[in-house]
Parts: sequence; structure tokens; C-alpha cells
Amino acid sequence: MKAAVAGVGLRAPHLAAIDRERPAAGLLEIHAENYLCESPALATVERLRGDYDFSIHAVGLSLGSADGLDTAHLARVAALVKRLQPALVSDHLAWSTSGGRYFNDLLPLPYTEEALEVVVANVQRLQDALGRSVAVENPSGYLAVAQSTLSEPAFLAELARRSGCSLLLDANNIHVTAHNLGLDPGSWLDGLPAEAIAEFHLAGHAVNQADGETILIDDHGSAVSDGVWALFAECVRRFGPRPTLVEWDTDIPALAVLFDEARRAERLLAEEDARAARAA
Amino acid sequence: MPVPLALRDWQAAFAADLIGDAPGAGKRLAIHRHHVASSLARALAVTFPTVEALVGADFFRQAARAFAAQDPPTQPVLAEYGAGFADFLAAHAPAQGLPYLADMARLDWALNAAFHSSRGLRLTAEGLSILPAGRLATLSLRLAPGTALVCSRYPIDEIWRASQPDAPDEAVDLARGAARLLVLRRADDAAFVALDAGEAVFVVALGEGRSLEAAAGAAAGSDACFDLSRAFARLIGCEVFAAMQQ
Repeated sequence: MKAAVAGVGLRAPHLAAIDRERPAAGLLEIHAENYLCESPALATVERLRGDYDFSIHAVGLSLGSADGLDTAHLARVAALVKRLQPALVSDHLAWSTSGGRYFNDLLPLPYTEEALEVVVANVQRLQDALGRSVAVENPSGYLAVAQSTLSEPAFLAELARRSGCSLLLDANNIHVTAHNLGLDPGSWLDGLPAEAIAEFHLAGHAVNQADGETILIDDHGSAVSDGVWALFAECVRRFGPRPTLVEWDTDIPALAVLFDEARRAERLLAEEDARAARAA
Repeated sequence: MPVPLALRDWQAAFAADLIGDAPGAGKRLAIHRHHVASSLARALAVTFPTVEALVGADFFRQAARAFAAQDPPTQPVLAEYGAGFADFLAAHAPAQGLPYLADMARLDWALNAAFHSSRGLRLTAEGLSILPAGRLATLSLRLAPGTALVCSRYPIDEIWRASQPDAPDEAVDLARGAARLLVLRRADDAAFVALDAGEAVFVVALGEGRSLEAAAGAAAGSDACFDLSRAFARLIGCEVFAAMQQ
């Protein structure tokens, strides 16, 4: 697929409208975990495959689990990927399962050599099961894990180098993490290899004030903020255009609002494409 | 220098902090605590929309959080999470004022399960017409995936309809009595139809693998008004049975 395309996260409230109206979009994203049953929603996505490229974005593989991947869940995700043949497959640098309990959250990892070996092994097992490379996304950070010996971008870069996976950069997550942990987003980007970056994500976040402290919460519940647009532009300038998705998961707006955000992203990608062409 | 905890132990300790309520854990951990509890409550609200409509968002959130604390998910497909919620509600002290609530949760759960079932091929009148005469009586039919019977002492079908977002504001008379609802996976959604007492016995017997003849006998034994040809035609019309293997 072309690099300078943008699309949206396809969520249940918009499924029927997309199927009916088939608006132009470079890419549609579904969450793997919502399409592992034989529902009418899966039948709709199968119909849409002729008109759209898909990204299958998993949220529950728990790539950071020391327990390893859940064999049954891995098999179901692999069957879905085989069936839908998406353009992109991804999950997060996080864990959500421990001791057989699923937490439905993207929990933080200590960025250590041991954790790196665990994630590399899990990503390789995933890639072997799918027969293809996957992208791993930077999560939103709320707490710095004291045991960490590597920075997050250094951990991601090394993960990509050792496992052969690509990286999915979520500009909103970088913005949220940098704010919450007191990091500089520009320096955060410094350690990343451009050739490993396969995809960008954009989303909104909430701004919470508690005890005189401002904490940003990655809730995918509002328009992309100005600061995140600026950081996205910086990512595109540094790494070049990549397929980009706008995600909105709570207080989901009208489809037109979502598509406006995707078009804004696509304009930005096209401008960088044109600039690069002039420079070449 | 202390040896760092191995990752598995570190994650187990983090998980224990996450589900505990120790105040010293810090407000940053509280963000994750809040997300785990609220996102599971939201997932349960998607699966049990009628229960939520009946009790209201605040009551539902509290009940769902209490349920999730005692019966957390073990895998990430949340459409498959909540099998024990109806039993939990039946024993949930704050819900005792709504005696039909647990049955409504069973109906929501069955509708959710049907929606997430395979449509597969269904037995139709045409499929039956190719059977040799005389074969029908001894036939054992399989219920199609997602088919379930939900029974209640209360008219949960009327309560369900009255709880839909666009329903007129009318009271349901609980004295109207029992409901026997057959939940179905249809082509594009899940739905239910109300059965009479004989039809319900008939479906249960067929679901247990008994022949048409034996199931009809059981139905007639419990309901003198049972009419086999009418009941069978109705069920075929609802596409309740899986297509027969050739």
C-alpha cells in the first residue's frame, strides 16, 4: 500500500454506515479481539475487504507477558489474519495478562534486558504464527518503572532489530508519555530507526488535574490535540510518510468528524511526499 | 545492590497492586486501576444492555465492578466475558428488589452469544422436502449455533421491549406470568421469539437429541394443546435447526 494514506478506526457504531456509503478511506482499522467470533460484524468486514485496506490492531496479545503468549488466543488471531489478509497487523509494547487473569489494560514494562528478551520471544512467536512481520506500538505511559535500564525508544529500536518487527508510532501516546513522565518528545524520537517505522496512529487524550498535577489520559475520546498534530508533523518530517490511522474509541463522533481528522492527516502526509519529491 | 525481580514475579506483584486497594500504591497506579475496573464495566454494559437500562448506569457500574473483582476475565475476547453475571446478580443483595433482573441478564447473555455465533446453514422447508417419506418421525435434528431457550417466571419479553431506547413509556404487568423465549442467531442480528409451554418442551427435547416423534410425545405430555405440525412449521420458519449433513 502507499505510504501517504490515512484512515480511521472502524468501530461498531459506524459499521453499517461505512457498509452502506463506502466513503473513500486509505485504510480501516479493526481491533482483532472484536472480530474473533462469527458475528454479523465480521461478515460486514468481509464484505468491506473489496473496497478497503485493513489494519488488524490487536489489544490483547500481551506481548510483554513473562508468561508467554496465550496459545488459544494466538491461534484465533492467526486465523483472523489468514482470513482477512490485512495490509497491517499490530499490537502494543505492553502486557495485559498475568497468572491467567486478563486486565484489559496496556500495562507498563520495566525496560530491561530480561524484558527485551521476553518481548522479542513473544513477537517472534507471533510472527511465526502469522507468517508475516507485525508492528509494535509504543504505549501511553503513566508511571516510570524504577527497574528500567533502557529508554522506551531504545527498547523499541532493539526489539525491531532483534525480532524483525516494525514499529507503530502513536503520536498521541508519545505526547502523553512525554508529558506524564517529564520527557522531551523530540529527544524521544531521536533514538528510532526510520526504516523500522511502518505506521502512525493519532488520537485524542483527556487532561486530568489532580493534586495540582496535570496528567494526560489516553482515552481516545476527543479530537487530536494541536500538540499531537505538531508532533505527528515532526514524525512525518523525520521518518517520512507512513500509513496513518485516527482512532476514536469513547464518545465516538459522527463519521464525518472522524473522516475530517483522517483527511487532515492525509494532507500532511501528501505535503511531506511533495516536499521530498522536490528535494530529490 | 538488590537483584531485580524476574519479570514474571514483577508482573505478578504489579497485578496484585492493581487489584488490591492499598492506598500507598500511588495515584499513577490508580490510573491503571481505574482503567481496568471501568473498561470491564463498560464491556459488561455492551453485553448486558437491557440489565443496564433497567437498573441505570450508576447501579450497573457498581454491580459490574463488584462482579469483575470476584470473577475477572481470563482471556481478551470480552464478548465472551460475563457468563457468570446472571448468577452474580441473582445473589447480589442490592438487586433483590428486581426479581426478574437475573433472568434478564440470562436473556442478554443468550442474545450476545447468539450474535457472536456462526450463522452456518439452516434447515429449511426445501431441505426437509427432499427427505424420503417416513424418515421424518425418526429424525434427530440439531439446533443451529446460538440457539438457546431462556425461561422466566416473569414476562421478560415485555420487560425487554419496554427497556429498549425507543420504547413507549408503559408499565409492564408482572402478573402476566412466565416467558419462554427462544433466542436465535438471524442473518444480520440476534433476536428472540416467545414459545408456548408445549413448544418449549419440544425444543428442549430436540436439543437433547431426541427424535421428532419422541420430542412431540414429550411436548404433548406436558401441554395437551400441543400441535406438532404447527410447532414444527413455526420452528422451521424461524430457521432454528442446523442443516442436515448430507
